[in-house]
Amino acid sequence: MAHSNWAEWIYVAVVIALLVYVGAEAWNIENLIEHVPEDAEVIKVTAQQWFWSFEHEDGTKEVGELHLKKDHAYKFEIESKDVNHNFNIHEYVVLLDAVPGQINTVWFSPNEAGEFDIQCREYCGLIHYNMRATLIVEDT
Amino acid sequence: MSKIFHLSIIIATLCIIPTISLVFAAETTGEYLDRKAEIWNLFFRMMTVAFVVGGVIAGTMVWQVWRFRESNPKAKPTPYEEKGEL
Repeated sequence: MAHSNWAEWIYVAVVIALLVYVGAEAWNIENLIEHVPEDAEVIKVTAQQWFWSFEHEDGTKEVGELHLKKDHAYKFEIESKDVNHNFNIHEYVVLLDAVPGQINTVWFSPNEAGEFDIQCREYCGLIHYNMRATLIVEDT
Repeated sequence: MSKIFHLSIIIATLCIIPTISLVFAAETTGEYLDRKAEIWNLFFRMMTVAFVVGGVIAGTMVWQVWRFRESNPKAKPTPYEEKGEL
């Protein structure tokens, strides 16, 4: 039976357009946020049961606290000494696994001075709930 | 021809704009991408799409159930029902 099927074609086209839009937007933003600025300072982040330690480019080490400057870019190189952890700065939407034997990287630039929580977001043992550190962003 | 033209405009828009954004991404010192804003904005845009799609699908289903119920005065038997094949 011959019949008009323009409605189906419009439906298919709208679905394809939406899927392409969603994919393109997500791809675009992912590329943007993964593009590390060349002048980003590298900070080595080490996770271990049950605390965080940080090493700045100049060799300065910190445990349980991280001092950063506002409006500077920082690239974190995150690794774990024992089990899987997850490095999370909730306020700045930084979230990345810390895996033994592997270095994962993420970058961000704090644009607000103050104190923010750093916490483990992967269950890593008895004191996981208290595996925290403080991010202190200082005005430059 | 017109269809090809429209399709190429859509593809060009979807590919060229993200590429340009990437190429001109903040490179200057002191002007960095606001990760939080970008991620949350993406989330809100995706939620807008998701809720619109959800609304259209739910609305279509409600309309179909309402329009094609047996008690609708506009309801007509299908050709099969007319012939008594069902």
